[in-house]
Amino acid sequence: MKSSSHNLPKISPDWQLTQPWTAKHLFIGIALLAVLAFTGSRLEMPRMFKEIGEALGYSVGLTEKSPVAAGLARIGNSLFPIQIAEVTEVSRIENFDRNNLPLFARIEIQETKTAHLNHETLQMETGIEKKEMLVAPLGYLKTVLVKMGETLEIALWATVLAILLSIPLAYYAASNYSPNKLTYFLARSSISLLRSVPELITALFLVLAFGFGPIAGVLALALHAAGFLGKFYAEDIENADRKPQQSLEAIGAGKLKTLWYGVLPQVIPQYVAYNLYILDRNVRMATVIGLVGAGGIGQELKGRFDMFHFSHVGTILVVIFITVLLLDQFSARTRKKLL
Amino acid sequence: MLKFHSVSKRFDDGTQALSTINLDIPKGQFCVLLGPSGAGKSTLLYMANGLVTSTTGQVEIDGKMLNRTNIKSIRQTVGMVHQQFNLTPRLSVAMNVLSGALPFVSYLRAAVMWYPRALRERACNLLAEVGLAPEHLSRRVSELSGGQQQRVGIARAFMLEPRLLLADEPVASLDPRVSREIMALLRDEAKRRGTTVVCSLHQPELAVEFADRIIALKGGKLVFDGSPDELVAAGLDGIYQLDAPKPTPANPALHVAPQILEALA
Repeated sequence: MKSSSHNLPKISPDWQLTQPWTAKHLFIGIALLAVLAFTGSRLEMPRMFKEIGEALGYSVGLTEKSPVAAGLARIGNSLFPIQIAEVTEVSRIENFDRNNLPLFARIEIQETKTAHLNHETLQMETGIEKKEMLVAPLGYLKTVLVKMGETLEIALWATVLAILLSIPLAYYAASNYSPNKLTYFLARSSISLLRSVPELITALFLVLAFGFGPIAGVLALALHAAGFLGKFYAEDIENADRKPQQSLEAIGAGKLKTLWYGVLPQVIPQYVAYNLYILDRNVRMATVIGLVGAGGIGQELKGRFDMFHFSHVGTILVVIFITVLLLDQFSARTRKKLL
Repeated sequence: MLKFHSVSKRFDDGTQALSTINLDIPKGQFCVLLGPSGAGKSTLLYMANGLVTSTTGQVEIDGKMLNRTNIKSIRQTVGMVHQQFNLTPRLSVAMNVLSGALPFVSYLRAAVMWYPRALRERACNLLAEVGLAPEHLSRRVSELSGGQQQRVGIARAFMLEPRLLLADEPVASLDPRVSREIMALLRDEAKRRGTTVVCSLHQPELAVEFADRIIALKGGKLVFDGSPDELVAAGLDGIYQLDAPKPTPANPALHVAPQILEALA
């Protein structure tokens, strides 16, 4: 059968449709694989894959033993069941009022076996020691939730401060609005500086300056996030559609008003998305920077971890997880509404 | 009103966009700059409010020479209508129109978008004049059709109560029927207020129908300056057909213009 292409008129040989992939792309691919192979062997990646494989095999009964699976099981057993109740020895509570217990709380008798030496018979004797314990069934959960609330407050304030700080930074760091090269350079370099120092390090220094507590945490998070927001705000300003801006420049509206009416409405959805991301990130980071004493749930986490109270650590982790999950839902909804 | 004193423009890449143009446009005239794309219409238009600076020569508006120091205050008296409407997409129709009065509004008011009653009334009157309905006020401009968007653009341009209105190909992205509506609207609004209009167009039939005076440019040179009747009499050969491909049956667009001119004459 004759191909129909024979009927088409001859076109110029300049028309050539090349394939999307060439030897160059293949070479780049191979080079990337080589880099991965080299760094992978330095980072013990083969061992990682082997041990993960072993652990997976162990979990379905294919492998005899797996140190990784055993380690994970140990962690799991110490974290769960999580600690929800608060148990306190009654004798340690000052001004304890037996007739006026806190809500839902009850008193339990805890019996512990003790062994002590009888000095007369020189025999070991076992006895039973009874301790009265006040059990508040949701007591520890409440403590953690209060700490989580504090963490959320830290994250909220850090986000607000970051936004306020990054607005002027973004204005000067947007090449089409910055008054001159020097301001542009200064703004860009401060943004890079802010972003390059990790929150945890900033928090360490700020704890030295402001002492333990939320101030150091809020500032550390705000400074880092301002670097992030400043960069992204500025880039959106630069990439915004020029046409509305031109029409306002043409009537002599001035730079600030042009920015407000010609750029901001265009970039608002992205800005909201960035802010929500920063809020989300700040909540997660606020839990971490507590580790260096900058307030919030991290401080509690570190204390419990150092005392080997792993079931308490479990509670804290579960609460953080649920909070981040809820926050994610919240930001997804807010974004949808605003778009 | 608007005078060009031997202006010329050479761009950095060496293209000579305009060479020695002298023009005097009196108050209240509806003046069309006609020419194919690349003729220098937009360059000349943008020179009138300093969006493009002339390489040589000067621009005079109301007896004042345009220079670096007075450019902002002069721009605040010159309205502008754009080919792509240049409205802010996510802003409401009302806010887009009000933004036309931004030079007269304090920074605080501009920031909180809280406009004085007089400006709000002016915006409503203008929107009614250009043929929009009250329910359009709170709509985003991106929800409007092209013709409606250009109506908003025209309303915004008149918010300044400009003495001079520059229209850069105001109907180039609209279909022919809507184009005529928009041109008629622009002309009526300008005539009612006595606003001088300089409007660039590439459609000779629209120029002939709506202009008081037609200035034709080709290759950066002035090739015609006169009334529409004179243009019809002179024909369009000088502007369009000298180095354009000859009209062919397969390309009727190229000779549609003379037919329409005959029908109008």
